[in-house]
Amino acid sequence: MQKTLQVPHTQIEKYTLGNGLRVVLNEDHSVPVVSVAVYYDVGSRNEREGRTGFAHLFEHMMFQGSENVPKAAHFQFISNAGGTMNGTTSSERTNYFETLPANQLPLALWLESDRMRTLSVTQENLDNQREAVKEEKRLRYDNQPYVNGFLRLFEMCFRNQANAHSTIGSMEDLDAATVEDIREFFRIYYAPNNAVLSIVGDFDQTETRQMVDRYFATIPSQPEPPPVDVSEPNEVALNEDVFPDRLAPMPAFAIGWKIPPRRSPEFYALSLASHLLFEGESARLYQKLVKGEESVVQIQGGIDERRGPSGLFIVVIPKPDRDGRQIREAILTEIKELAASGPSSEEMEKLRNNLFNSAVRSRQSSQYRAQQLAEFELYDRDPELFNTDLQNYLVVTPEQISAAIRRYLDTDNRVLLEIVPAPQEAAPAEPQAPGEPKQPTAPLPQVPPAPDDPTTGSLQAPQVSEPVAESA
Amino acid sequence: MTETETFRRQMPPPLQARPLNLPHHVENKLANGLGLVVVEDKRLPLTSVRLAFRSGDSNDPADLPGLSDMMSHLLSEGTETRTSRQIAEQVERLGATLTVGSGSDFTTVASSALAPYTEDVLELLVDVTLNPIFPQNEIDLARENTKQLLIQQRAQPNFLASERLSQVIFGEHPYSRVSPTPESLDALTRDELVKFRASTFIPNNAVMIIVGDVESDEITRRVEQLLGNWKPGQAPDLSFPAPPEHKSRKAYLVDRPGSAQSNIVIANHGITRTNPDYFPLLVMHTILGANASSRLFMNLREEKGYTYGAYSNLDARRLAGTFRATAEVRTPVTGASLKEFFYELERIGTEQVSAEELRNAKSYLTGVFPIRIETQDGLIDQLVSIRMYDLPENYLQTYRDRINAISADDIQRVAQKYIRPDEAAVVIVGDAKEVSEQIKPYSETIELYDTDGNRKAEGSRQ
Repeated sequence: MQKTLQVPHTQIEKYTLGNGLRVVLNEDHSVPVVSVAVYYDVGSRNEREGRTGFAHLFEHMMFQGSENVPKAAHFQFISNAGGTMNGTTSSERTNYFETLPANQLPLALWLESDRMRTLSVTQENLDNQREAVKEEKRLRYDNQPYVNGFLRLFEMCFRNQANAHSTIGSMEDLDAATVEDIREFFRIYYAPNNAVLSIVGDFDQTETRQMVDRYFATIPSQPEPPPVDVSEPNEVALNEDVFPDRLAPMPAFAIGWKIPPRRSPEFYALSLASHLLFEGESARLYQKLVKGEESVVQIQGGIDERRGPSGLFIVVIPKPDRDGRQIREAILTEIKELAASGPSSEEMEKLRNNLFNSAVRSRQSSQYRAQQLAEFELYDRDPELFNTDLQNYLVVTPEQISAAIRRYLDTDNRVLLEIVPAPQEAAPAEPQAPGEPKQPTAPLPQVPPAPDDPTTGSLQAPQVSEPVAESA
Repeated sequence: MTETETFRRQMPPPLQARPLNLPHHVENKLANGLGLVVVEDKRLPLTSVRLAFRSGDSNDPADLPGLSDMMSHLLSEGTETRTSRQIAEQVERLGATLTVGSGSDFTTVASSALAPYTEDVLELLVDVTLNPIFPQNEIDLARENTKQLLIQQRAQPNFLASERLSQVIFGEHPYSRVSPTPESLDALTRDELVKFRASTFIPNNAVMIIVGDVESDEITRRVEQLLGNWKPGQAPDLSFPAPPEHKSRKAYLVDRPGSAQSNIVIANHGITRTNPDYFPLLVMHTILGANASSRLFMNLREEKGYTYGAYSNLDARRLAGTFRATAEVRTPVTGASLKEFFYELERIGTEQVSAEELRNAKSYLTGVFPIRIETQDGLIDQLVSIRMYDLPENYLQTYRDRINAISADDIQRVAQKYIRPDEAAVVIVGDAKEVSEQIKPYSETIELYDTDGNRKAEGSRQ
């Protein structure tokens, strides 16, 4: 029996400063905590050829000091005030965020405004952060099995270089970055009219509006950044490829599809389809392959959500004695079956309850709310979508799910990448130029499978982030 | 324009502090010994439940590492009235989660759901806890898949580092075992699983914690109905062989040919979770390496650019613990990184920390405290730790005062007592032919291992 479910309404205020900075506020006094997020409209999609990895390298530079904040003092100021902070870069945007005791809101505004107006870019800082980024690439990509191989998948999906290359970029392009490049990048993209500021938590709105004015209103706006072209033909760039991986202990394969942009009707339908196919232990492919046929060790999937053409992928590690071709046939057959018969009423109920559950659960975190409000304002100029976008998923019908699967997944317009273990002498695990696609959700096996964190939804975009170790 | 904005020169002072109202909890004990803690949290229509047992991987028989993990994993793979598939479908159809996790000291059956489904998922949680049947086909499947995942784990450098370190530090103590082995998986029978569950899943060794949009009286009555008839038993024995002593520095190199980085872990024996030195060590750890403004990060990443991140780790468990310093560094600076690590590990004991560093560390720990308990999961994890480690009843209420009471002398005392670079175990996972020579200046002896965990003969370093 279906129960009446509700998501409490989030009160949202929005306004724009004279210099074009968009501000979104959500006042909430339940915990004495405040979260601030600043989103800049720049990601790897804005990078031209020969300059891959710049948006992410620049994210590191934003922690290297500004007129009134010494080098690396950003970390210190936030920690010493009892806060946490981070920055991440995706294909779509670069974000910076901090969560602090509520009375430290002025500190966050001071830090964010100072680096928005006067970032200090020096050769020494650039050299140092280039090294940190290279270590990040070695840590997360070059020293891990499957990850670089899997990056190849997005190169195969996308024909447009703006979409196909990765946020981490190539070592060569990172080496080529000059101080002048970085300064120019700052001037073009880190302008108030190219950014959104969101503040969520325990604050007084009148006082906060005055502070936002004081810290941000005098930062000059800049000409609009050059337009981005992320247009794609319907066809994928390359159907099949094999990637030798000297760190992989056993073979794996990945299948990828090109799907329509976020917030399109087809995207909503395909998000729900992907949930039915590979999210959780009741998912169709888990029940069929891990349980029924017992042919695969692990199956994972995900959606790379973008403003332009997006991606949907499935990664499989077959059991040693199993034929990958048969497993792929089984996956494609299941997709065809879902397209033909559509989701059952039980599956539709499961989708509905899961949508409500993740909407409610994720709202507990002020940082999550700050991030989502900023993102909806940046992409859609409509932060109210935080309250209303759930409805766009709930209205999708079984027929629309079937139709979207027929059109976008049950098709030969897809890519298949086989990752095969290679001896030490074989090609390096780093993919060939030009560039690499986005950071994947790599198969990271755990024994036994760890409980999933229910606050991280299944449909998150992969991104490069700066981890901060947790204390006890 | 900018010249006149003198207000930007200085960091702004904080506003008036806003009070933190710690959530109120109601505590009960059932006649069979099961503890029950309920926190009414009506901010959102949501409920989180944890049923935590004071038993875990430590209770695995020495020849059956992984038994607790496998038992936990298999709880939701079939009960007297539900198949594995029915459990998965019923949970996910509610939009809920039901997970089981086994750690070294305790095992947790956890659920979360929208408030209208609180009782439905609670009933499922109780079913997998009390009535699992461990079907043979599910055991065989889990055994085979876990063997494959073990092979995958051996490709991960951080697993190799953790495996080697645990064996070196803990010797015959059960904390030395971090995963099952192919042999233990083969040896594991349905009988063992049934016996292990029956002996460890007893109400007088467990506590149930419920946080969420519930009425305390009502949910307490429901729990009594569901779990009141559960029979108590004899709590498992927790006497284990003592970890070995380490009186000199020694390096352990896991040869991973072609490695793009070296994973470095430098470790000493630490403390148990209830040791009175926990709070001074926690503050010291914050100054030395807990986050991106600590000394290790500022030195190895921000000044030297050797790594993406360098941290310390205070691992304090029920029976023993470690204090560790870790980083993944690029291969050619393995030796240079060891130099900086040992510089920082010496300095924290020889020089008193400054008043400013101490103030900053306290401010960090007390400030992030409300952020950590903002969500139901954050709060419930704290409540589970308090019960499982037998921490004081008023732990949350007094946490910030206990942090603020620590002095620079306390820090130096615990640094000298626990951070002992000359007695450290140094574990490095990397390409032996590239890093052996770099390690030599920092350790007279180097034991060499392969990625299967086997000792390699000396002189076979190529």
